[in-house]
Amino acid sequence: MVGTRQQVWILFALIMVLGFISGSIFVDHLPGTWPAKYWFERFRTHLGLDLQGGSHLVYEADTSEVSFEDAEIAISGVRDVIEARVNALGVSEPVVQTAKVGERLRIIVELAGVFDVNDAIAQIGATPLLEFKTEAAAPEPVPVSAEERAKREQSNASQFKKAQDSIQKIIGAEGQNFAELATELSEDPGSAQAGGDLGFMRRELLVKEFGDVLYGELAGEGETTLEPIETEFGYHIIQRLESRTVTDDTGFEVEEVRARHILFRTQSLEGDVPDYQPWVQTELGGKQLNRSEVQFDSYSGAAQIGLQFDDEGARLFEELTDANVGKRIGIFLDNNLISAPVVQNRIPGGEAVITGNFTIPEARELVERLNAGALPVPINLVSQQTVGPTLGTASVAKSMAAGLVGFALVALLMLGIYRVAGLVAVVALVWYAAIVFSFFKLIPVTLTLAGIAGFLLSIGMAVDANVLIFERLREELRLGNAFGHAVVVAFDRAWNSIRDSNMSTLITCLILAWFGSSVVKGFAITLGIGVLVSMFSAIIITRVFIEFAGRSRWLSKQKWLWGA
Amino acid sequence: MQIIKHSNIYFAVSGLLVGASALAVAVFGLALGIDFTGGSLLEITVDERIQADIASIQGILTRADEQGAKLLDSVQAQKTGEAGFLLRFRNVSEEDHQAIIGRLNTEFASQLPENERSKEAGSEGAPAGVSGIQATDFEGNPINIEVGTADGGVIESPVITIGGESLVVEDRFESIGPTIGNELKQKSIYAMIAVIVSIILYIAWAFRKVSDPVSSWKYGITAIFALVHDVAIPVGVFAVLGAVAGVEVDILFVTALLTILGYSVNDTIVVFDRTRENLSRDHWKHEFEWIVNKSVNETIRRSVYTALTTFVVLLAVYLFGGESIKHFVLALMIGVVAGTYSSIFLASPLLVAWEKRGRR
Repeated sequence: MVGTRQQVWILFALIMVLGFISGSIFVDHLPGTWPAKYWFERFRTHLGLDLQGGSHLVYEADTSEVSFEDAEIAISGVRDVIEARVNALGVSEPVVQTAKVGERLRIIVELAGVFDVNDAIAQIGATPLLEFKTEAAAPEPVPVSAEERAKREQSNASQFKKAQDSIQKIIGAEGQNFAELATELSEDPGSAQAGGDLGFMRRELLVKEFGDVLYGELAGEGETTLEPIETEFGYHIIQRLESRTVTDDTGFEVEEVRARHILFRTQSLEGDVPDYQPWVQTELGGKQLNRSEVQFDSYSGAAQIGLQFDDEGARLFEELTDANVGKRIGIFLDNNLISAPVVQNRIPGGEAVITGNFTIPEARELVERLNAGALPVPINLVSQQTVGPTLGTASVAKSMAAGLVGFALVALLMLGIYRVAGLVAVVALVWYAAIVFSFFKLIPVTLTLAGIAGFLLSIGMAVDANVLIFERLREELRLGNAFGHAVVVAFDRAWNSIRDSNMSTLITCLILAWFGSSVVKGFAITLGIGVLVSMFSAIIITRVFIEFAGRSRWLSKQKWLWGA
Repeated sequence: MQIIKHSNIYFAVSGLLVGASALAVAVFGLALGIDFTGGSLLEITVDERIQADIASIQGILTRADEQGAKLLDSVQAQKTGEAGFLLRFRNVSEEDHQAIIGRLNTEFASQLPENERSKEAGSEGAPAGVSGIQATDFEGNPINIEVGTADGGVIESPVITIGGESLVVEDRFESIGPTIGNELKQKSIYAMIAVIVSIILYIAWAFRKVSDPVSSWKYGITAIFALVHDVAIPVGVFAVLGAVAGVEVDILFVTALLTILGYSVNDTIVVFDRTRENLSRDHWKHEFEWIVNKSVNETIRRSVYTALTTFVVLLAVYLFGGESIKHFVLALMIGVVAGTYSSIFLASPLLVAWEKRGRR
C-alpha cells in the first residue's frame, strides 16, 4: 500500500491536510486570519444535559379514559402544545418527542441550560386549554386633535428625513454596512438585533407596499431601495438579500425572498384605534367537545375537519353560530389561535365541519390539536433527571482535566516504552483526537459525561493498535530484519489482530447504541467512533510517519530507539 | 516464561476469585439503583454557614407533621465532598420534590441568627401567623413558599434565601418511576444476551479456519469462559461495595460490564490470533502446549501495555472526572485488570487443558 517514495509523500500531504481540517474544526476559536475561519467555527460542540445543566423529563399519557387509537392522535397534539409552551420558555434547542413503549404513550422533553425547572414542569404538565371565542367589534378610531396631528406630521417628516439620510449613508461614498446601521437605527424590535434580517418571506405575508417593492423593483441581490418605502408601519429601507423557490404544502412552487430592512416608525394621522380584545370569551371549550376527526367532503373529496360536541356543547355551539353568522369563530389552544372558520349559518345538533383548502397533513394537524384539548388524556411526569448548571460546568472542567491527564499519562508511557515509535504514536494520537472531535462536531454527537468517558477509553484502545504494531516491529527488528522490511511485516501481521480485536468492541457498541437509554447511547457512540478512527490512525497515520522517520538512515539503524 | 506449566495455580486463583464473587452476590446481592427499581436521587450542596449532617437531613425529611403524615418514610444519605449530600428516597411527585427542598431550606434557615435571614422577606412586613407568606428573591420577584408547621404554630420567618441565595442548592435530581425502572432492567438483560450471543458468533466466525488440533468452537467457548470470569469479578466487587459502602448498581454499571465483555474478548482474541498464526507455521514441529506457551509469551507485553495505557486513562477519569461516573469507571478498571489477567493466565491454559483431555 505504501510503497514508493512518491506515494509516501502524497499520503503525508493528505494527512497534513486532514490534520489541518480536523484541527480547525476541533478548535472553537480560530485566529482572525485563519482561512475559512467562519466555516470552521460554524461547528459547535453539543453538550449533553449533564454537562450544561438541564432537565430530561418523561411524561406518560393516562389513556384510561379514551381508546388507545384516540389517545395516539391526541398525544401528537399534546406534543405540539408542549413544544409551543417550551419554546415560550426561551430554552435553546428544546427536544419534545413522543415515544411508544408497548402500550404506553410517552412524551420526552429535554430542556437544556439555565431556567426555572419547576416552572417549566408546572407549565408542561398542565392540560391544554381549548377555547372557542367570538369576534369582537373593533371600536371606532379616536380622532386626533389638530394640534396633535401637526405634531405627528412633523415627527413623521423627521422620520422620513432620517430614512433618507440613512439611505445616503448606505449607497453613498461611505458605504456604511447595512446590518450595522439596522442594528443601530431600526425601530423594528423583531429584526434590529439580527441586522435587520427578516429571513425568507413569501409575498402574500407581506404588507402590500413592502411586497411590491421587494418582488418588483429590487431584482438583484444586495440591491437597496433608493427612497424610503412608506407602509402603515412607517418608512422602510429594504435590501434584498437572496431568493429561493420552495414547494408549499399544496405542491405549488413559490418564491421566497430574504431581505433586511431598517424601519423608522410613523404615527397615524387618521386617529388611534384604542386597544381592545379582538376575541370574546365564550362558555364553549374543550370540555364540551367530544372529539374531532378528519373527514372528506362527499362531493369534492376535499379534506375537512369534523367536530362533535356533547349535549351542552351542541346547545352552546348552536347559540354561538346563530349569533355570529358571517363572522369568524376563533378556536384557541393554550391561547394560540389555531383556526378561525367563518360561520356560514346556524348549526344545531352538535356536529359541525370546518371546511377550507386543507391539505390532509394540515387537516390532521388541526385535528390533533383539537383532540389534544378535547380528549381527556392527562400526562404524568414519570421520570425526571435534572442537573444544575453549576454541577454541569464543574463536570466539563473535570472531564477536561481528566482528559488532559489521561492523555499525558498515555504519552509518557508510550515514549517510555517505544521511544521514537512512541513519539510517532503520540503525534498520531493528537491527529486521532482532532479527527474524533471533528466527527463529534460534524455529526453532531451530543457529549455527555459517559460519552467523554467513552472517548477517553477509546484513547486507551487507540493506543492498542499502535502497541500491536510496535510489538511486531520490535520482534522483527530483533530478528535482524532491515528496518524497511520490518515495518512492512509488522503492519501486515498486526492488521489481523487489530481488525479482529476491535470488531468485538464495535459489536458491543452497536448493541449498546441500540439499547436505547440516552446516557448509554452517548457512551457507545463516542467509543464506537473512537475505535473506528483509531484503526485508521494506527494503520495510515502512524505508518506514514514511521516510514518518514525510517527515511533517515541513522534513525532506522538505531534499533533501541524503536523499542527493540 | 512457562505460563502453561503452572496452569493449575492460575486456575485456582481465578476459581477462587470467581467463587468469592459468586458468594458475595449470593450473600449480599446487588444493590440495585433507582435506574432499575424506580426512586429518587437528590444531590444538594448546603450553605457553609449551616451545620448539616446526614442525621439532621434524615431527621428533617422523615419527621411526621401534626397529622402524623410523613414527607418521606426513609432517606438514605451520603456525604459527598465538603458540603454536598447525596440523598436517595422513593419515587416522588414534583410537588413532593418541591416540598422536600422547601422543608430543607426552611429548617436550615431557622438555624441562622435572625439578622442573617433574608432581608427581602423581612421588608415584606408579613404579619406573624399569616399562612402563605410571600418571600421575594433578590430581584424582588415573589417566591412561592408553602409552609406547614409541625405543631400548627406560627412560623416566624419562612425564609429560604439569604441575600437571594438558596441555602440548599440542588445540583442534581433524578426521579424514576417504577415502570421505567422495569423497562430498563429488561432492556439491560436483553442487551447482555445480545452482546454475549453476538460475541460467541463472532469468535466462532473469526476462528472458523482453525481446526487442528483444537476445533474452532473450543476457542469460542474458552473465550466465553474468560469472559464470564472478567464480568464475575467486577460484579462480585460491586456486591461487596454495595454491602459495605452502599454503592448501587445502575445502568452505567451494566454498560461497563458490556464494555468489559468487548474489551476482554478483544484481549483474548489477540492471543488466540497469535496461536493461530504460530499453529499454521509450527504445528508439525511442536506440541500444541509449546505453541500456545510461545504465543502467550509473544503477546504478553502487548497485553500488559495495552491494559496499562487503558488503565491510566481510566485512572485519570476516576481521579479527576465527574463524581457521577466514578463507579462506572471503577467497574471498567476492575474489568480491564481481570480481562488482562484472564487473557494471559486463563484462556490459553484452558485451551491447552482442553486439548490434553481430548487426547487422553
